[in-house]
Amino acid sequence: MTVASPDLTRTRSQHPDGSRRIRVPGIPERLKYGLLGFLVVLPLWEAVVRLGLVKRVTLSSPSLILEAAWEDLIINGTLWPHIFQSSQQFFLGLGLALITGVPLGLALGLFRRLNYFLDPWLSAIYATPTIALVPLIILILGLGLESKVFIVWLEAIFVIVVTTMVGVRAAEARYLDLAKSFRASRWLTFRSVILPSSFPYILTALRLGVTRALVGVVVAEFFAANKGLGFFINFSGTTLRTDRVMLGVILLGLLGVVLGEGVRRIERRYEKWRPEFR
Amino acid sequence: MSVAVASQPLRPRPRNRLARALMNERLLYGLAGVVLFLLVWEVGSRVGVIDRAFFGRPTGIVEAGMKEVQTPRFWGDLAASFFEFASGFILAIILGIPIGLAAGRFRRLQYALDPWLNFFNSLPRIALLPVLVIMFGVFGPASKIAVVFLGAFFSIVIPTMQGVRTTDARFVDVARSFRASEWLMFRSVVIPSTVPFIITGLRLGVARALIGVVTAELYTQTEGIGVLIRRATELRQGDRALFGVLLFTISGIIGVESIRRVEARFQKWRPATSLDRR
Amino acid sequence: MDMGLALQARDVRMEYVDQATGDRLLAIDRVDIDIAEGQFVSIVGPSGCGKSTFLKIVNGLFPATAGTIEIRQSPKGVAHAMVFQDSSLFPWYDIVDNVAYGLVCQGVPRKEAQRRAQPLIDLVSLTGFEGKFPYQLSGGMQQRANLARALTVDPEILLMDEPFAALDAQTRELMQAELLRIWNEANKTVLFITHQIDEAIYLSDRVLVMSARPGRILADITIDLRRPRKLEIKRTPEFIAYADQIWGLISTQLKPHIHDKAAHPGGEAVA
Repeated sequence: MTVASPDLTRTRSQHPDGSRRIRVPGIPERLKYGLLGFLVVLPLWEAVVRLGLVKRVTLSSPSLILEAAWEDLIINGTLWPHIFQSSQQFFLGLGLALITGVPLGLALGLFRRLNYFLDPWLSAIYATPTIALVPLIILILGLGLESKVFIVWLEAIFVIVVTTMVGVRAAEARYLDLAKSFRASRWLTFRSVILPSSFPYILTALRLGVTRALVGVVVAEFFAANKGLGFFINFSGTTLRTDRVMLGVILLGLLGVVLGEGVRRIERRYEKWRPEFR
Repeated sequence: MSVAVASQPLRPRPRNRLARALMNERLLYGLAGVVLFLLVWEVGSRVGVIDRAFFGRPTGIVEAGMKEVQTPRFWGDLAASFFEFASGFILAIILGIPIGLAAGRFRRLQYALDPWLNFFNSLPRIALLPVLVIMFGVFGPASKIAVVFLGAFFSIVIPTMQGVRTTDARFVDVARSFRASEWLMFRSVVIPSTVPFIITGLRLGVARALIGVVTAELYTQTEGIGVLIRRATELRQGDRALFGVLLFTISGIIGVESIRRVEARFQKWRPATSLDRR
Repeated sequence: MDMGLALQARDVRMEYVDQATGDRLLAIDRVDIDIAEGQFVSIVGPSGCGKSTFLKIVNGLFPATAGTIEIRQSPKGVAHAMVFQDSSLFPWYDIVDNVAYGLVCQGVPRKEAQRRAQPLIDLVSLTGFEGKFPYQLSGGMQQRANLARALTVDPEILLMDEPFAALDAQTRELMQAELLRIWNEANKTVLFITHQIDEAIYLSDRVLVMSARPGRILADITIDLRRPRKLEIKRTPEFIAYADQIWGLISTQLKPHIHDKAAHPGGEAVA
């Protein structure tokens, strides 16, 4: 008879001898070098402009941008209506994209034939920079809110549809088999397996949608607006007020960072399932 | 009493035949989707339910295209767009991959770059168009190349950096235990395991670069396919405008497909997974 | 170092700082080991006893806190080479490039390294699989390639870190027999880490039993079983007596751990 020798160490890399010795990055160091980056770039930028190496109008400078921010945001507050207008378009467009995109993505993931049916069109539109349609959209819908919300919707929806669809497809076969072996109904399978496992993907879809929707807002307001951050940036550009352009860009960037970080916070709770693509 | 179990073979037909049937079903439904949609569009336009000036019609797009390719101006526009795309994208690759590799390799460099990368990545970079136009001028390709570059650069640099940082410690240990030089370790371990991430970056980069081309051309209105679209729209030639959009769709498909080719060449060591065929 | 020894470890000690709690922990303490040239020596011990840590110190992946390890230097070849756990082959290299990797690391041109890798590929019976990628090979074949990679650099001592742990039971038995055949042909000193008692006895000239953390050498058991050994030897009373002896030593080390092992999921239940 063979001696059955018990497995003594099956847990891998939980113990010191198996675990990797990766240094956990100290937060102070990350902060230190992060700040260092700013402390190098900002004064350099300021100096280059002050010394007249680069014209004020081409690059502006940190102090000029701060000054513009002080005036437009605090003193006379002329920027707030633009911010409000852009936010309205952003949230309306993104909201509509979610309301329409998530169900469509779920349906495309669930129903094979529907997927086949729409696949050529989806692939084509997905490969198209949809901004190319902006002139036509403005021609059809005019210069009102509709065209801008539509552009934001159009920019955001496809990435939401595709990511949600991938999420449904990524529901693991073994869980589906489990549900099947318990003779779960289609609806129950959907609720208990497919929806929970595609949820992290929907969050990713939301994050990707946020980025796209911001692009939509800017483009829409570049071409069809007399209000909004995109308009503000564009108008300041044509009147050569570079500090205002930079201010608008920075506000958009901050908006992007804040919104993206917000979604990422929620996403992190589902880290395990997070899809690998961005 | 006997229990009757309904026998339902999982794979009723031989594998290759089943695969063929699935392929056919996919092809069938896809074709049906394309034909049906085109038919509705064409008939609707001919009956007058769909306004041709706005929405064009399939045969009209083909006609417009045939006419367009006979004009020298079209080829000038196409060349301009292609040049902007290629220069910006190649520049983004040339700078993005080495910087991404360096930032992944040197922790402190990453800390210094992180805030900037995060900010610019969350920002719709096309918002910088007005500044870029001030910097590089409206005419000529420079401002457009800059937009394309900014669009693609961050999509390439960030995944590359993440790829280096997620190099499997196991393989690093192997290289170290054989006393590989730092350079050999980089070449034999870090680069190969980063390639999939770089490919992801390139795929995202193509899409961003195309968005850059379109927006820059619509904005500056000097030359390129974007200008063709805008001109056609202003003349209410929906067919011609959609022909321009179609060119961007084709470019997008060609771009994604080329990257898939590159991927297949670099990744023959990886078993094909279902996600790859997405 | 004494003549005829391939490895001599004296008073090796390893401390590290726990990343989560910041506590200093003693992983291994006062480890003395002598391995004679050509000997096959295994270290067995409970989970987390520091046996893999010891091997990594020998391999130079990180330095010990205190103590000395001397390895005989030969004029040709290198002092030591490691056979890693499960699939440590580079997935992006084919088999011949993987096996030749150690030589490439020494600066040997790729073509020549491939040529010099060939006899080792033949030795581990992978002839014909040179152009395959790791994912195209079974786990057992991958570990053969892993072994060949370590042998290519002609090490004085071969370090093996639970090389068969990820294999299924049947493949593992076959690989043990294969390893003895290869060891016999390649004529190497081997330091083998395992958690499988029967594997250690079957393969080794000596089995060192390590205590729970901090790891110390509890016993040095010479295995007096005639070579060449067939797999059937595992069923002989002598073999079983060795297994009982070693299991007795290890189980004394396990007792304090049983409860907290059972408490957290993923930890194995030890009967």
